[in-house]
Amino acid sequence: MRFVLRRLGFFVLTLWVAITLNFLIPRLMPGSPAVAMMARYRGHINPQALHAIQIAFGVNTHESLLRSYVTYLGNVLHGRFGVSLTFFPDPVTHDVLQALPWTLALVGVTTVLAFMLGTLIGLVGAWRRGGLMDSALPPIFVITSAFPYFWLAILSIWLFSLKLGWLPQSGGYDVTDTVGWTWGFAGDALKHAVLPAMTILITAIGGWILTMRNNTISVLAEDYVRMARAKGLNPWRVMWTYAGRNAILPNLTGFAMSLGFVVAGAILVEYVFNYPGVGWMFLQSVENQDYALMQGLFLLIVVTVLTAILAADVATALLDPRTRDQR
Amino acid sequence: MSASPLGATDQLATPPAGPAPMVAEVRPGRGGDLWRAIRRNKKAVAGVVLLVVFLVFSIFPGQIAPYDPTAEIFPPALGVSRHHLLGTTAYGQDIFSQLVWGTRLSLVIALAVGGLATALAVLVGVSAGYLGGATDGFLSLVTDVILVLPIFPLIIVIAAYEQNAGFLTLVVVLGVLGWSYGARQLRAQTLSLRRRDFLEAAQVRGERKSYVILNEILPTMTSLIVATFLGAALYAVLTAAGLQFLGLGDPNSQSWGTMLYWAQNNEALFAGMPLWAIAPGVCIALLGASFALLNYAFDEISSPALRVRKLERAKLQTARPTPALPSPGETSDGAVLRVEDLSVAYATDAGPVVAVDHVDLELARGEFLAIVGESGCGKSTLLYAIARLLGSPLPGEIVGGRVQFQGKDLVLLEEKELRRMRWRDLSVVMQSAMNALNPVLTVSQQMEDACRAHANWSKAEIEVRSREVLRLVSIDPVHLNSYPHQLSGGMRQRAMIAMALLFTPDLVIMDEPTSALDVVAQRSLMVQIKELQEQLGFAVIFVTHDMSLVSHFSDRLLVMYAGQVAELSPTKELFDRPLHPYSQGLLGAFPSIHGPKVRLLGIPGSPPDLAHPPTGCRFAPRCPQVEPRCTAAEVPLSTVNGSLVRCVLHETGT
Repeated sequence: MRFVLRRLGFFVLTLWVAITLNFLIPRLMPGSPAVAMMARYRGHINPQALHAIQIAFGVNTHESLLRSYVTYLGNVLHGRFGVSLTFFPDPVTHDVLQALPWTLALVGVTTVLAFMLGTLIGLVGAWRRGGLMDSALPPIFVITSAFPYFWLAILSIWLFSLKLGWLPQSGGYDVTDTVGWTWGFAGDALKHAVLPAMTILITAIGGWILTMRNNTISVLAEDYVRMARAKGLNPWRVMWTYAGRNAILPNLTGFAMSLGFVVAGAILVEYVFNYPGVGWMFLQSVENQDYALMQGLFLLIVVTVLTAILAADVATALLDPRTRDQR
Repeated sequence: MSASPLGATDQLATPPAGPAPMVAEVRPGRGGDLWRAIRRNKKAVAGVVLLVVFLVFSIFPGQIAPYDPTAEIFPPALGVSRHHLLGTTAYGQDIFSQLVWGTRLSLVIALAVGGLATALAVLVGVSAGYLGGATDGFLSLVTDVILVLPIFPLIIVIAAYEQNAGFLTLVVVLGVLGWSYGARQLRAQTLSLRRRDFLEAAQVRGERKSYVILNEILPTMTSLIVATFLGAALYAVLTAAGLQFLGLGDPNSQSWGTMLYWAQNNEALFAGMPLWAIAPGVCIALLGASFALLNYAFDEISSPALRVRKLERAKLQTARPTPALPSPGETSDGAVLRVEDLSVAYATDAGPVVAVDHVDLELARGEFLAIVGESGCGKSTLLYAIARLLGSPLPGEIVGGRVQFQGKDLVLLEEKELRRMRWRDLSVVMQSAMNALNPVLTVSQQMEDACRAHANWSKAEIEVRSREVLRLVSIDPVHLNSYPHQLSGGMRQRAMIAMALLFTPDLVIMDEPTSALDVVAQRSLMVQIKELQEQLGFAVIFVTHDMSLVSHFSDRLLVMYAGQVAELSPTKELFDRPLHPYSQGLLGAFPSIHGPKVRLLGIPGSPPDLAHPPTGCRFAPRCPQVEPRCTAAEVPLSTVNGSLVRCVLHETGT
């Protein structure tokens, strides 16, 4: 599995770049925000919190840049991101892990769903060339994929919560609920997830449909598809194992690349819906100038995206024997 | 097909829009063609119109907006009225005026980011692709890392430290981080160009690298560069709007995102003023849509396969009188296949083109018929028409004629019935097994699905049969579990032939099955095909452009020219006494191993454009023996001693 190992190396490299950026941005940006921050906090918050911020920024006036970078790397590796100001005295790791399941359930599930549905629609549309699905849907989804996620979120709140009153307009669950593994809570959480999920689904699906459609059209021109027809195979078999399985390979690479777009959208959707996930907490930390929490969440987002990309790579290796044999 | 629809317009009726450009050939310096291609594409037109409207807004906001966008001079939260087309804000500003003034910032950000990102993408992508080696390795790695870094959160982090992201920060950060997608594609494109002749020619001429990149590479990538620009612009519009909406932009700037920020802050929805949020959002979506539509349209324009063309049968010029076919002089009782009057046409932007024109042929049981001709003469199209396998990338529809096989007319057969017949009775071997075998399935899986489609065999029986046919073509059955890319070229080709013999069909159609192999492998494969044919008794139609290859193997030769039968003779007859000047020309183009040393003669010129074939004999413009009567009228096929030939020199009767 050389291929997967190589991708794992890429994972580590990118993560290192993100951590380094995290360290450098506050220190090297014009006006050195980190030092300014320290000066602003000194005397206003207790020494423990100040120390937490110092860890997060790798700022310690007595150390050289390189030394504090090494200390910072060590801290990150041990999961020490300092203490959150917003949720004082919670360590950042604790808060971050609290937000993660919400985002994984909402954004993770809808992204995978959007990918699968979009791939399916794109495949079937291209298969029935010139049909309704092929001629009407692409232009529509070209336009919806240009919608700002947050705007669609506002519109859906206005329509489905305020005008029609069908669904809750804010939060991840009813505040009167007790959080726990009960049916009532699960149903309530589901009800709160419908609108944000719809928003992400509608805007994200267009891209997958279009790329899968175009991939399939070029795969359909391949000799092996003609050969499959010549063999008299069942059209379903031709569509799935000959056209689909080959057309999805570039789409998996595309999945990795468009993920950043989805993440950006999801952060804003969580913000509009006050959904208690990573994106919402990230923006809260920005608003409260809780830099330790912000940096921890940023790294969490990077790790999540990279993990998803690694999963796409593993899927590629499983579906494409040529990547498996690659040296 | 070398059809050039540009020249065809004077003969075929075209829409008043003017000549239809062959968009795949859009080149720099031919802006006229590109412009026409854009005008023909509805999505492109919509995108351009939207963009122009916003451009006008952004250039002349003072003339268009009725009021000062910042002046808080009206009653707050007014509804829609004649004076306030979209009402007023919570602070009593005119919303319409704000929208008009807000256009400028969004557009400038989009264009600036698009420009910066495109410049970087071109710089990195083309350098990486052109320079190769370690430079390429390094640049590609940087590109990939930036590609997967989540940019939006990163910009938020930067904006958070800066308190807000001013215009410059936004443009620089988005531009510096948004180029990677385009760079990746440009690199791939450059790599594929590197080995093209015109670049190697430039290198041989000793041109400087910078000259080659600027004058030879960049112009061929116009559409990809435009796509990069549009993609980055769309991305900039959405990201900037998102940041402004969060209040991380400059809150005093006039922009749609900022309007949304204030709408959210003033709780537009609960205040019963959804227009505060809807109006700027619509503008963002429309500006984004204009970039997305243009991007999509460009995709369609640069790869014509994405568009569907309908064959306009009404415009077909099949009314050309065809003389009744002279009897081939043999009974059709032993025939396994009889093709009668078969015509195939395909659609182009300039109208239908006839690629196979009224072809007749008959194939006896166990016969080996070779079809020869230059590329573009319609031989592959004929082959796939017989097998009912037309479709991209060999577009075309059967527009007339019959294909009698096993007592049925394949042309009229339902897809379902046809499917039952395929592979059992008629199988196909293609030019390159590398492309014809599914790369993600093993050889045995591909044998298995054919077996399952046509026989009720157990897994063990399928395995036994698969091993049997592999041994027939001398491949060790251990290769059953190999994927196509793990086999050598010759083995893949043999494996495909083995697959075609799973059910020992009556007819095997072969489309240049040896052309991907070296000369020695070609020879041994031909010998093997002939042996198998004699052993198993199937008939073969064998398409090739190499006459010498089939000279010892085929029973009869069919020479095709410009979609028509030029000559059909027994192979030995044709080699000894070629009747048609085209056959003579083809024979003169190949060296003979045994014969005396002769000067090789090619055929000057190239096959005619099928969109408007010459009147009379289609070979006349290249024929060394051309006479005035050749171009006077359509030349019919004549029978000469058991051969069929379409040439005035051999015209019989009348």
